[in-house]
Amino acid sequence: MSEVQKPESPARFGKQRILDAAKILTRWILGALFLYLGLKKTMHPEAFLKLVRQYDMVSNPMLLNAIAAGLPWFETFCGLLLLTGVAVRGAALMLLAMLIPFTLLILKRALAVASAQALAFCAVKFDCGCGMGEVLICHKLVENCVLMLLAGWLLTGGGRQFCARFTVFKRA
Amino acid sequence: VKSVLLEGLLVAFIGAVLAFAANALSPNGLSLTRDYFPGAERPHPLAAPATRPAAATAGTNTTQNPATEALAARLEAKGLHLAQGTQVQELFHDPRRDQNLVLFIDARNDEHYQEGHIPGAYQLDYYHPENYLPALLPLCQAAQQIVVYCNGGDCEDSELAATMLRDVGVPAEKLLVYGGGITECDKSGFPIEINSRNSGKLRAAAK
Repeated sequence: MSEVQKPESPARFGKQRILDAAKILTRWILGALFLYLGLKKTMHPEAFLKLVRQYDMVSNPMLLNAIAAGLPWFETFCGLLLLTGVAVRGAALMLLAMLIPFTLLILKRALAVASAQALAFCAVKFDCGCGMGEVLICHKLVENCVLMLLAGWLLTGGGRQFCARFTVFKRA
Repeated sequence: VKSVLLEGLLVAFIGAVLAFAANALSPNGLSLTRDYFPGAERPHPLAAPATRPAAATAGTNTTQNPATEALAARLEAKGLHLAQGTQVQELFHDPRRDQNLVLFIDARNDEHYQEGHIPGAYQLDYYHPENYLPALLPLCQAAQQIVVYCNGGDCEDSELAATMLRDVGVPAEKLLVYGGGITECDKSGFPIEINSRNSGKLRAAAK
């Protein structure tokens, strides 16, 4: 490491080490989760295609196919980057770019289902295409918020141990 | 911030290139140009979530159910017909089935087909027809009656597969879509064959 570091107090140093360890663990958990969910979807992209279609987000068949064909592999790629520690902040940013719109789409569909079937919001259950089958949407939304917070936390840097190349462009 | 955004863009670009390359190389990959849902009118988008049990109950695939009525109307508009549970039972026991004059076609993927299908049913995975259609098409041309099914409930694959068969030249009047699908078969005590076609291995019926 070529970084110039100021001397730190033992307590502050200990806290930093805990934070770094937590960040590494977060990176591995997010990486493993996205790798698993992505690969699972790549096994049956037609099932994912049908689920993406349920959201009515695009009407063009080619665009729908592109989303269903590309997204699972893209998730896998981002998961792999996080696990190996390559372009960590870029990969975390991409996770956010996938999680935010999909969470909003899930919320929108869940509200529509709850209204159409006169169900309590937290009783709404469907396969959201997240790779975990049919889930209670309340739980899924909370889970996605946690994932977004964790991905956002990775954007702040730190926890560079066990990274093949934390930053692609230059070492900070 | 700028370097993070640039890194994100780089990840997005490389990831997208690799994702489409992986899809093209994968045996399960999707075609980017095919319209998988031609003339698609999606069945009851919000009112029939996967949580709801299959539309028809055992042995009674009646047109009382709104979802079944909607399916029947969609099929009628395409020149196809909905098969009732009793009609499927009769066709299953029809002696013409042994001569391939009555065909059962399972429109689900390999995994589901192997888990259980109507005994003697041919497989036609709607999303990968190139693997099945060349062998199946001559049989369909020669058959007098063809029953296409999938899981039942809100599964559209049987309807899509029947439409595809019609579009490749199989006369529409031969084609019946069994809306209750394998779920109804299972519940009504139909024999269910596992593994490959004519494996002879039967699965115990669901209670």
